Amino acid sequence: MLIYDIWFLFIYMFFVGNLIFVSKNKHLLVVLLSLEFIVLSIFFFFLVLLMFIDYDMYMLMAFLVFSVCEGSLGLSILVSMIRSHGNDYFQSFSML
Amino acid sequence: MFFFILTNNNSNKMFFLFILFFSTLISISSNSWFGCWIGLEINLLSFIPLISNSKNLLSVETSLKYFLTQSLASINFLFMILIKFSLLKNFDMNNIISIMMNSSLLMKMGSAPFHFWFPNIVEGLSWMNNFMLMTWQKISPMILLSYYFNKNFLIFMIIMNLIIGSLGGLNQTSLRKLLAFSSINNLGWMIFSIMISENLWLFYFLIYSMMIFMMISLFFLMNMYFMNQLFINNMNFFIKMNLLINFLSLGGLPPFMGFMPKWIIINFLLINKFYFLTFIFMMTSLIIIYYYIRIIYSSFMFNYFKMKWMNLFMKNNMFLINLSSFISISSMILSTFIFM
Repeated sequence: MLIYDIWFLFIYMFFVGNLIFVSKNKHLLVVLLSLEFIVLSIFFFFLVLLMFIDYDMYMLMAFLVFSVCEGSLGLSILVSMIRSHGNDYFQSFSML
Repeated sequence: MFFFILTNNNSNKMFFLFILFFSTLISISSNSWFGCWIGLEINLLSFIPLISNSKNLLSVETSLKYFLTQSLASINFLFMILIKFSLLKNFDMNNIISIMMNSSLLMKMGSAPFHFWFPNIVEGLSWMNNFMLMTWQKISPMILLSYYFNKNFLIFMIIMNLIIGSLGGLNQTSLRKLLAFSSINNLGWMIFSIMISENLWLFYFLIYSMMIFMMISLFFLMNMYFMNQLFINNMNFFIKMNLLINFLSLGGLPPFMGFMPKWIIINFLLINKFYFLTFIFMMTSLIIIYYYIRIIYSSFMFNYFKMKWMNLFMKNNMFLINLSSFISISSMILSTFIFM
């Protein structure tokens, strides 16, 4: 049970998710997918962490609810952007 | 804020405004870090409908940028909370985990190394949304910052905030971006005051939000978004005087209201021998007052064209304008009467 090498996996997943989030992509959907990937890595981390304590997964469920809300908010903004611009390319931004 | 929502025929946004207020309360009054994260998420969830307006291309882009930065910051915050939880670092505030947690909170606030989204978004929002963004959205990250901060890291961030806030505003012609950089500079003062005591931060924050409210309501009533709109001769003398007083008060010049919280912070700095930091606070304040005076000087002194077709009807709002001038001028003197 005392395998502490699993922390590296969580940090690696989190780091890769962040890397894709901040990279230059063509579509906005890739950015939202990387956000969901970070959420997945945190879910895994949280699960393993809670298993070391006492199997009470309530906090994990609350985390899942809120991260799903956030993901759906991102998608609604994507829909709003497609309705106004026509696509979700990053090139259509014109503000500074 | 309620009045302005109702006048824009958008009273269905009142629901989101209430949830916004509650989210901050959830975040700052929770027992665990997880509750803080939940409050920050609900804050994001309720602020996005307030700023998104599907009739406008610019506001879609604004809400997208806001969503991306804030969601990244809050998810990083949660990961750092979990690492802090797993490694049991609850009392030692001088490690890398406190640096990471503070970084994610600073990104939520729009503070210096992570400030690049802030002037962009402020440029795309209306004045009332800007007021919410600059005042209310700063409360919960700041209070969460005070629960677990790394002193050396934050002092470095304060110096960056002050310098970027003062030097960034020098080349701006848009009033919103000017106030955005002024907000970044004031964030430096506020972060330092929250390291001193939370009471002092509350004092600074209330006075700052009152000053910002006076300025933003003036610009909102005149519907002004850019600096060249300030140079019309048709403005009433009292409006220009109010603009002068509020700008100087925001910069922190002595007889006005904005000097009082800065005075208390400088007092603390000098008693505790933070001489270099005092120097940086003073010099960056000078740069900010320079670009405020540059605007006001041009607006007052030069003889611009007086346009026949553009009349500003401000007679209904003169009470508010005169009241705000009076408060800005006399607050420091009247505050001495409280303790009599």
